Amino acid sequence: MNGNDDGFYYLRGIPVPETPLPDQNPQPWQKTEVVGRPLPRVDAYERVSGNAIYPSDIVLPNMLYAAVLRCPHPHAIVGKIDTSAAERMPGVRAVITGSSPEADFSWPYSPEMKTKLFNPHCRFEGEEVAAVAADTIYQAWDAVRAVSVNYNILAFVSDEAKALATDAPSVHAGGNKLKIDRYSRGDVEQGFADADVVLEETYRSECELHTPTESHGCVARWDGDHLSIWQSTQGVYSIQATVAKIMDLPLSKVRVIGHYMGGGFGSKLGADKFTIIAAVLAKITARPVKLFMTREETLIAAGNRPPVSMRLKAGVKRDGTLTTLDFSAVGTGGAYPAGGTSLVDWLIRDLYLCPNVRTETTDVYVNAGPARAFRAPGHPQCSWALEQMLDALAERIGMDPLDLRLKNIPSYSQARPGNPPYVSTGLRECITEGAKVFGWHEARKKTAEPTAGSHIRRGVGMASALWIGGGGGPPSTIVVKLFSDGSVSLNMGASDIGTGTKTVMAMVVSEELGVKPDVIQIENADTGTTQYATPSGGSKTVPTESPAVRAAAIHVKQQLLALAAVDLKTDESSLTLIGDAVVSQADPERQIRIRDISGLKKRGLIIGVGYRGPNPEGKVINPFAAQFCEVEVNTLTGEVKVIRFLGAHDSGRVMDRLTFDNQVFGGITMGIGLGLTEARILDRNQTGKMVNRNWHDYKIPTAMDVPANIISLPIETDNREANTTGTKGLGEPVTIPTAGAIANAVYNAVGVRITGTPINPLQLCSALALLRKEE
Amino acid sequence: MMPEFTYIRAKSLKDAFSHLSGEGARIHAGGTDILGCMRDKIFDVKSVVSISGLNDLKGIRETGEGLHIGALVTLTEIAENPAVNGRYPALAQGAASASSPQLRNQGTIGGNLCQKPRCWYYRGEFHCLRKGGDRCFAVAGENHYHCILGGEGCYIVHPSDTAPALIAYGAAVHIEGRKGKRSIPIENLFVLPSQDVTRETVLEPGEIVTEILLPPPAKQMKSSYRKVRARRSWDFAVAGVALALQLKGDIVSSARIVLSGAAPIPWRSKEAEDSITGKILDTANARKTGAAAVSGAQPLEHNGYKIQLFRGIIEEALITISAA
Amino acid sequence: MSEDRDEKGCGGRGEECGRGMTRRNFLASLGVGAIAIAASGNPAAEKEASAAVIKSGEALEINLQINGHAHRLLVEPRWSLLHVLREELGFTGTKEGCERGECGACTVLIDNIPRYACMTLAVEAEGKEITTLEGLMHGEKLGAVQQAFVEHDALQCGYCTPGQIMAVEGLLRKKPDPSLDEIRTGVSGNLCRCGAYVNIFKAAKKAGQLKRGGVL
Ligand SMILES: Cc1cc2nc3c(=O)[nH]c(=O)nc-3n(C[C@H](O)[C@H](O)[C@H](O)COP(=O)(O)OP(=O)(O)OC[C@H]3O[C@@H](n4cnc5c(N)ncnc54)[C@H](O)[C@@H]3O)c2cc1C
Ligand code: FES
Ligand code: FES
Repeated sequence: MNGNDDGFYYLRGIPVPETPLPDQNPQPWQKTEVVGRPLPRVDAYERVSGNAIYPSDIVLPNMLYAAVLRCPHPHAIVGKIDTSAAERMPGVRAVITGSSPEADFSWPYSPEMKTKLFNPHCRFEGEEVAAVAADTIYQAWDAVRAVSVNYNILAFVSDEAKALATDAPSVHAGGNKLKIDRYSRGDVEQGFADADVVLEETYRSECELHTPTESHGCVARWDGDHLSIWQSTQGVYSIQATVAKIMDLPLSKVRVIGHYMGGGFGSKLGADKFTIIAAVLAKITARPVKLFMTREETLIAAGNRPPVSMRLKAGVKRDGTLTTLDFSAVGTGGAYPAGGTSLVDWLIRDLYLCPNVRTETTDVYVNAGPARAFRAPGHPQCSWALEQMLDALAERIGMDPLDLRLKNIPSYSQARPGNPPYVSTGLRECITEGAKVFGWHEARKKTAEPTAGSHIRRGVGMASALWIGGGGGPPSTIVVKLFSDGSVSLNMGASDIGTGTKTVMAMVVSEELGVKPDVIQIENADTGTTQYATPSGGSKTVPTESPAVRAAAIHVKQQLLALAAVDLKTDESSLTLIGDAVVSQADPERQIRIRDISGLKKRGLIIGVGYRGPNPEGKVINPFAAQFCEVEVNTLTGEVKVIRFLGAHDSGRVMDRLTFDNQVFGGITMGIGLGLTEARILDRNQTGKMVNRNWHDYKIPTAMDVPANIISLPIETDNREANTTGTKGLGEPVTIPTAGAIANAVYNAVGVRITGTPINPLQLCSALALLRKEE
Repeated sequence: MMPEFTYIRAKSLKDAFSHLSGEGARIHAGGTDILGCMRDKIFDVKSVVSISGLNDLKGIRETGEGLHIGALVTLTEIAENPAVNGRYPALAQGAASASSPQLRNQGTIGGNLCQKPRCWYYRGEFHCLRKGGDRCFAVAGENHYHCILGGEGCYIVHPSDTAPALIAYGAAVHIEGRKGKRSIPIENLFVLPSQDVTRETVLEPGEIVTEILLPPPAKQMKSSYRKVRARRSWDFAVAGVALALQLKGDIVSSARIVLSGAAPIPWRSKEAEDSITGKILDTANARKTGAAAVSGAQPLEHNGYKIQLFRGIIEEALITISAA
Repeated sequence: MSEDRDEKGCGGRGEECGRGMTRRNFLASLGVGAIAIAASGNPAAEKEASAAVIKSGEALEINLQINGHAHRLLVEPRWSLLHVLREELGFTGTKEGCERGECGACTVLIDNIPRYACMTLAVEAEGKEITTLEGLMHGEKLGAVQQAFVEHDALQCGYCTPGQIMAVEGLLRKKPDPSLDEIRTGVSGNLCRCGAYVNIFKAAKKAGQLKRGGVL
């Protein structure tokens, strides 16, 4: 097709930004042409047609299927294992256990704590004991069931509160206390003395499970000594590093591919034990091996958001000035060091202006599956406590909860040394603009009116938030290729975990080069063919990758202009790219079409390389948020129905309005799960086994549990100082304030505070009955 | 993962009976429950006898006796059937509130009545009483969703969302086996743990439910099914109530009140029925009826909330039906 | 507390290990007539034809009608339709999320009605018209529901998406102009952990419009 005439390749006539000289930083974008628009995903076609091959879809010639035998007890020593029956079964090609020499690898649960791959001392239900590869997945499981194991069953502890008791069974020699972190500033006692109102409350956030729709797993294949792994992952390079290290292979011999993946939410940031197991089985059998966890396995052994019990005591003056926050928490990341309390006090430390703050968090071991980073680690738990407390304080001093928050908005990070300022904080606008669009004041007035007769009550609530990360930063390397006809290929290591990374980056290329996003070829998430990238997590992918993409595109432009300058016999600094031609600004008659540039024709290709530069020193880049919701509570049954939601989010520049809004909807949906339906339940008094290990008993929200009315309200702050695209992260802040906002709305509706997640009829019905009795 | 089994596609009821006589043989109707049980290896299944092709068990038809619903009629067909919606709305509501659309498209009414309990100990890797073990793990365990009425030794709740309405309407179940046919009131289909902890129905091995017969509803009957769940779709009843009330003016002349999520069988609450019969259908009496229903409740450690919940849901259901 | 216990596998209750699939003798157990009739897709005739007994560990040749084409293959009794579609036939547009009827990722249409392929034995699908995501395509062109999903960004990771699309397709085949409530109910058997529900509702509405406007 002729790109020049019908505009196939180029958005004709649409200006692209100035090209900075090679040693210059690009100017911030002014008015953008592509960035910011609601653009359907560039890979939507593959995803809705079934053409996208996810790792779990892969079927290689001659491939075997593997299954893992997992310890059925929360705490046991593995004794004799008899695999002979399994080995004799039809279709079985390999059985490995802790005594198989081929499987003699160590596994780093944390940098300090390594165990064997098949750990003879199983500390949680689901720890790996043996594995099988067979011709069909059915045969693999037949064989797993035929392996007989002698377990020496040990006493267990499931409850983080009980883990610290002196007579509690020890998960590890040395006791169950993993660590205590303390933080303080100011003088908390003085803070209480200064306060007009002091409140204290305990809160609990239950263990939440990631449960991405595609389960965790991989396909492994050896070509001689070269290992290829297709894994459902958020970061191919992190898997490569771990596998190479554990198996003592050069990085160049480990290729990890993860073009598509079906959700991770933090549970797929790195390699898994199954990656190594699949590689070992593939080596032994000299055949490709597919190993995916069953849904049940993912629920017991693929990470979780740590449960935490919190206590918060807070003081406030009548005018709404917070005087003090005193917080303590006990949480658990399960049986191995896994950040059971990490960041669980961050919002206490940093969200609201408060001179006197003290936190103490205790991370303990219990006999349960290890935690993994889960969408905004620590934050939703902390928000659950803090935001409910703020509402309670506001009520006591007779202030609108919104005004109390507005009274205490910081412009700098109080918790970081030196109190560095934020590059931008849209917190105030998130609250005020959000309230306006939501109709907060009208809604509050309405819910305050008496509802005679009806047992259905309405309530509205809000909560605000920040996310500790979201600034992104180096490293990132991007390659953009310009072909001789002016069409473009983008090559990056980052995974698109459903957030629209590919689309956003294509828009950046499009903005800089004028090429239509849908004709950009994108190569990503493959250690064999794409650049180094850190895993997609921490809400940093857009602010990390997009400036590097921009730099790579600019690098292409610079070279293009230089080549054109030769043909046009002029100085490249006077040239500019317009449509598919390079044009002299001084003399617009002097121009050359890209496809005619002789230097490009000769080379066939221009390669632009972009690197992510550093973030500004002494400044903090955090996204901010406020969410508002309206609920309906059935006072006879304790059912809560979420009627509507609004998420006002300051994440800097909106790149793609469609994927931006979608993140907001998704974060709120997940927050509804934390707030209303989800909790892992362990048989704590008898066996320590997880009882709700399926998607029926572990209840994530369905289409009936979310409101159809969710408004996404972007608050675009000026972040040109942060990076060259002016972006901050979004994926995590969207789920932080949700559960707290719901709890506040429920309180507003019925005057009952539910301090432990989830607010389901089980809890609320009894609380409402108690309230009726009191009345 | 599914273990091996022998598959038999029955070509007639008689064919099915003969294959079902063997040990470890189970009926497959829609398969939505039995396949899950087999995958989780709750019990050993040697052979699966599929009756899904038996057209005689399909279809809803009306005769002078009432409405006949074949055992293979799907929950979706019931929920959308005009006759059911018009005259037996509680059954339509029950069927529509069960599981998910896809499962309702596949799951049959026969299977719904004969499905296995959803207790997470029974379904999980726990060798419990009902599976021939020596204890019920719910007694000292995580008994949030377990029963508050009728538990003895075992504390499951009955999972069916259609059974309460069928009992409220006084339906009959037609059963056929090698030895012949019988028909019993559906109320008598279910078995309490105190009677036999290893079974949920009175069906003998090899017997098949062929049909449900709903008697013509009396005039002036009002009925409904209301269900509370922990999640708004794809979830069993935490508490449910089917009502079938006969009204004379304001006065309830007779009542059937059947609870789901309360007991190991769909639980007909005579206490609640007595409480409202002969009374005006108002808020005060609705409240009393709710209280009466749970007067004999014996909650476990984590399910005491169900007492309040049943009081609330019964009160609400009665108020709603009075306004309808 | 400490006790020793011998156990088999993760389930704890060991059972007899089957003999595995022999892939022989299948002809003996196979109603030859069943194939011919199934291929003609006449469900009424199915009843008389199928008297099959397939022993555990043996395989039966069946004929599956998928997206308008007949597929003849050997299956074990225990194989789910999902397994056959994905691992045996390469229809990876049907996803696997749970294998226990609890997520909807495996939704396909069976005789135009949405069902879970994971809860359907392959042998039970014989003689029925099976439609997968691939069957909604018109050559390389997206079907109406697929187009609407793209336009309204009704997906994130995309893994639940094929199932959502099939659920919406099934809904629209039955109810061309569904209300919001009907749409929600229609996709209430399809989990989306990414939480794209709000956009899925919009896409379903739009898909209905497209279809009523003649887009297939
Ligand atoms: C995730 C999930 C959620 C669910 N949620 C609900 C819910 O909320 N409410 C609810 O009521 N149900 C629920 N169910 C259960 C499902 O709706 C029922 O299982 C369905 O109606 C069963 O019908 P079926 O034909 O598929 O049964 P099958 O699986 O075929 O059979 C179920 C049992 O009944 C026996 N059986 C079947 N038909 C007959 C017959 N005619 N005569 C004698 N015995 C027979 C079988 O041998 C088997 O033991 C749920 C199931 C799942 C998997
Ligand atoms: S895979 Fe079939 S419903 Fe989840
Ligand atoms: S798009 Fe990821 S689960 Fe729905």
